[in-house]
Amino acid sequence: MRTYILRRLLQIVPTVLMITFVVFVMMRSVPGDPVVSLLGDAYTEEDAVKAREEYGLNKPIVVQYGIWLGKLVQGDWGVSILTGRPVLQDVLIRLPVTLELIVLSMAVALAIAVPAAIIGALRQNTWADYTATSVAMIGVSIPEFFIGVLLLLVFSIGLGGFLPSSGWIYLPGTCPTVVCGASLWGNTQHVLMPAVALGVGRAAILTRLLRASMLEVIRSEYVTTARAKGLSERPVIFKHALKNALIPTVTVMGLQIGFLIGGAIVVETLFAMPGLGTFGIDAIIARDYQQVQGFALLTALAFVIMNLIVDLTYTFLDPRIRYA
Amino acid sequence: MRPRSLPVCAVVLLVLAGIVSLPAPADAQAPKRGGTLRVSYGNEIAHLDFHTAPGYEMMWVAMNVGCGLVNITPDGKFVGDAAESWTTSPDGLLYTFKLKKNVLFHDGTPVDAAAVKFSIDRLMDPATKSGMRSFFESVHSVEVLDPLSVQIRLKQPYAFMLHMLAAYRTGLVLYSPTATQKYTLEDRKQGKPGAVVGCGPFKFVEWVKGSQLVMDRFDKYFVPGLPYLDRVIIRVIKDPVTEMAAFKAGEIDFIASFSPEHVDTMKAQVPSAVILTGKETTPMLAAMKVTVPKDGKPMSKERAPHPVFGDLRVRKAIGCYGIDRGEIVKIAFKGKATPWVGMNPPGTLDTVDVNAMCPYDQAKAKALLAEVGYGPQKPLTFELMADTEKSVFNVIATVIKEQMTRIGVTANIRLVDKVSWMNTTLQDGPWDMYVEDLLSLITLDSNGYLSNSTSTWSHPRHNDKRVDELYARYAREMDAGKRKAIAKEIQEFFVEHMYWNNISGSPFYMVAQPWMKGYTYNAEFEVHYHKVWLDK
Amino acid sequence: MGEADLPVTPDVAWGARARPSASPLVEGIRRLRRSTTALLGAGIVAVLLVVAIFADVLAPRSPIASDQTHTFERPSWDYPLGTDQLGRDMLSRIIHGTRISLLVGVSSVLLALFVGVPCGMIAGFYGGRVDTVIMRAMDLILAFPIYLLAIILMVIFTPTAGLIGTMKVTGAIAIVRIPIYARLVRGSVLSIKEKEYIEASRALGVRDPWILLRHVLPNCLAPIIVTTTLGIATSIIVEATLSFLGLGTQPPTPSWGWDLKANVAFIQANAWLSLFPGIAIFVTVLGFNLFGDGLRDALDPRLK
Repeated sequence: MRTYILRRLLQIVPTVLMITFVVFVMMRSVPGDPVVSLLGDAYTEEDAVKAREEYGLNKPIVVQYGIWLGKLVQGDWGVSILTGRPVLQDVLIRLPVTLELIVLSMAVALAIAVPAAIIGALRQNTWADYTATSVAMIGVSIPEFFIGVLLLLVFSIGLGGFLPSSGWIYLPGTCPTVVCGASLWGNTQHVLMPAVALGVGRAAILTRLLRASMLEVIRSEYVTTARAKGLSERPVIFKHALKNALIPTVTVMGLQIGFLIGGAIVVETLFAMPGLGTFGIDAIIARDYQQVQGFALLTALAFVIMNLIVDLTYTFLDPRIRYA
Repeated sequence: MRPRSLPVCAVVLLVLAGIVSLPAPADAQAPKRGGTLRVSYGNEIAHLDFHTAPGYEMMWVAMNVGCGLVNITPDGKFVGDAAESWTTSPDGLLYTFKLKKNVLFHDGTPVDAAAVKFSIDRLMDPATKSGMRSFFESVHSVEVLDPLSVQIRLKQPYAFMLHMLAAYRTGLVLYSPTATQKYTLEDRKQGKPGAVVGCGPFKFVEWVKGSQLVMDRFDKYFVPGLPYLDRVIIRVIKDPVTEMAAFKAGEIDFIASFSPEHVDTMKAQVPSAVILTGKETTPMLAAMKVTVPKDGKPMSKERAPHPVFGDLRVRKAIGCYGIDRGEIVKIAFKGKATPWVGMNPPGTLDTVDVNAMCPYDQAKAKALLAEVGYGPQKPLTFELMADTEKSVFNVIATVIKEQMTRIGVTANIRLVDKVSWMNTTLQDGPWDMYVEDLLSLITLDSNGYLSNSTSTWSHPRHNDKRVDELYARYAREMDAGKRKAIAKEIQEFFVEHMYWNNISGSPFYMVAQPWMKGYTYNAEFEVHYHKVWLDK
Repeated sequence: MGEADLPVTPDVAWGARARPSASPLVEGIRRLRRSTTALLGAGIVAVLLVVAIFADVLAPRSPIASDQTHTFERPSWDYPLGTDQLGRDMLSRIIHGTRISLLVGVSSVLLALFVGVPCGMIAGFYGGRVDTVIMRAMDLILAFPIYLLAIILMVIFTPTAGLIGTMKVTGAIAIVRIPIYARLVRGSVLSIKEKEYIEASRALGVRDPWILLRHVLPNCLAPIIVTTTLGIATSIIVEATLSFLGLGTQPPTPSWGWDLKANVAFIQANAWLSLFPGIAIFVTVLGFNLFGDGLRDALDPRLK
């Protein structure tokens, strides 16, 4: 087991390296480079040539990658050519916003999925079940940005700005700026709609999964035995069935979280949140090579680490599974 | 007077006396001190090194954190900023500025002649890579006469010296020699505390990209009593609908540049909003590429005519007679812009109405195309590029496409992002026609580097030296009347040769809450908050 | 993420097992007929296919013809779904949008299939080095931030309009789905590899590709079909999302995602312009999801 973990940890390195290298190469194959954005309407050919020289953009790609890697192992994620800001600092400012969004959407998802799945599993093939499954099916079929647009329509525009349509107010104590308008209520107002938009989609998937798993467990002998022992209905369901049914659910949640670090782009864009997603997309569009590398590195790391955690959790929760 | 009316008179007199002795009503327009102005931008600020950063968003910050020698008013008069007064020598080669005594940089160092020399030298230095360098081409040198007097010596007369110092891009922004030498370029770009130093009414506090930019009142500003505001906070809200919602909710006091497409909606949604606009100062053009590199190497000096638009007749057929400018303005701007053929927008100095030179005439367009050999047997096809920075570019491109089909021409629209567009056009890449609105122009002279024969930003690459000669004559002519005549010559020349295919002016809007007072609208050229106060 | 919602951990196989000889297909179809969800889904999909194929006939107007005098018309008899900023008829745009959505959805999944299935089969069948290399590559693709990939791909190859633009979007979506099929097939292959009739065939000298095609593939068929159908649903959502970000199908090609995004700006006064494309996306995806679900229940009831 220990060797497995070690092996997986070591495997993270080449995976992340490969991904960052591919991103590195792809960004430099895109038309336009940071010097074009940097000089902007002050662009002249001679200044551009000088700037490219200065920032080492003329060197062979592999050499440039090597330089980036060399700085990285010393903990330096590089400095953006466009803004002069250290990449790591910017990434760390954006990360909490995305994390908050992810955590809250998972909470929303679970809040919907757990009751729905339980109802569905307990009252299988009844009206309640069909409703729950239908709602889940609908949730899976609506793109999250459309849910976002609908929410905007109802709460922001329809109810006369009951919920703000964009921007962000930080939680007290987490402000990246000195001048800060942090407040819990303000933060809640801003994160509510995006969290729901993201959460509903995840909820749908989790409901179906949880329900299916619960059904399987309920039917299994394990629970029959527990019932035979004379335990009443509720503890049986909640303690045994739910716990076991959570295994595949937790797995999927972990995968979803790993995906969302870079995948919440759409909701973040729609609600203009200063998170990692908007950071990444702005960086790519502005051809900010360093920031794109930082974004790629972080999202790849998050994804593979979440995958590892999920696999390990799977082992702990289900003793029947063992890895070579 | 009869005795009876005496009491009446007395009462009247008493009442009058009472009225006269009442304290005069407080002047409702007296500015209130204090408060925070919340501004919203539609685009991100590039970075905070004022001498090199591109983009209006940065410029509008620079105008408030920094100060220069002179500013320009909406009616074209010059007022002193750090300069108290100035004189010009009769031959137009010497500009002597006398500085005000109490001007300080935010780091406490004085704004003196040495600082002015330092700033101008820095801008002119190729190593700085400043976008303003080309504007200082006619400057020979800068001399410090005494701590408060600085003299700029020109190589040849330049009629727009003051315009340039006031409002070409940021205008001249003075840098503190101490701060500039103490901090690196990177420090300034990212806004490290202490690195971004100017002499303007507001001192820079902090900038977190994606969050906000904050500037606070500079207590030692050289105009006593100003600014009224304690603080200005700038946020970036890219989506106009969201911006409107925030404005309606009262979260924003001032929108620095509002999307023209949504102005009507804003008026309907927020009737109390104060909408500021004026004659357009930005051209909206459908540029056509005139030459291509002969050997295929970008930026090559050897040119060959563009396969489609290299022929003047094609340029005229498509650009002059084949485009219905009125229809475009109606659809893209809901009629809120001016159809305009001249390269100088309606609001720019020395502008000329040459619309009569290019009336919409389908028959003439088709005839010209037939002359060149295009027709139903050999249909003309070209690519129309638009970038996604503003959605109106795509709208205009679509309308042009439609208008092209009316004269038997096929235009294929290609949508690219802004950086790709810049890359293609600046690096002499392959393109036929593009729709864009470039930069705002305060004078025809400031259009020089967008349309002369050598500049990287002169995308059509027309190579016609006569244009440079015209611009040079215009810049050196010190008589305003004669200048106007040369301006007319230039604009007609461009239309005759279709080196610049203007469609209309590109309107500019700012939106303010009714409680924001004291702001003087001067298009994109001067955005100053020093006299702004909040009536609430 | 319809078809990927069951845990697909690298070393744990799930999937079809070898069936006894009685035709599973016939049984499957019988179960399919009885399932209401499947029928409903199939019905929606059929309608969509018809609309996509006969779009030119069904749409009252051209989707890209702009009529400057009729911009922002409210839904009426003339314009059942109203018109947009350029006077284009929304109904026609939505109808033609079906074509693009289905085209991109189906072809991206098929592309992923054609690459992923052979990869998975080879990896599972031969094992060892080959297996490790292929699955490493699959893990790499899976770990790649999908939107990063899509954005870069979309910007990297110009031009972006018309057919080539659509092909780019298809490719971008397909790449990310390849590992799903690879893993799926590999899992199936692993579970039947040891079966005696396979070993017997090999001993008899039957060539490998033939074995793969004749014996291995049919047993993976069921999950492949289910995954494909659900995959189409996901692809359509991804395409819409990319268009929403401005990176998918470019105008003037009618695209639901693009229309939704372009019209959100006018949501105050003309909300229906963004609602209709969204509803179109929803109905399409729902149809494929229902159908896929029904297929899954029918072909493999144990997975329910």
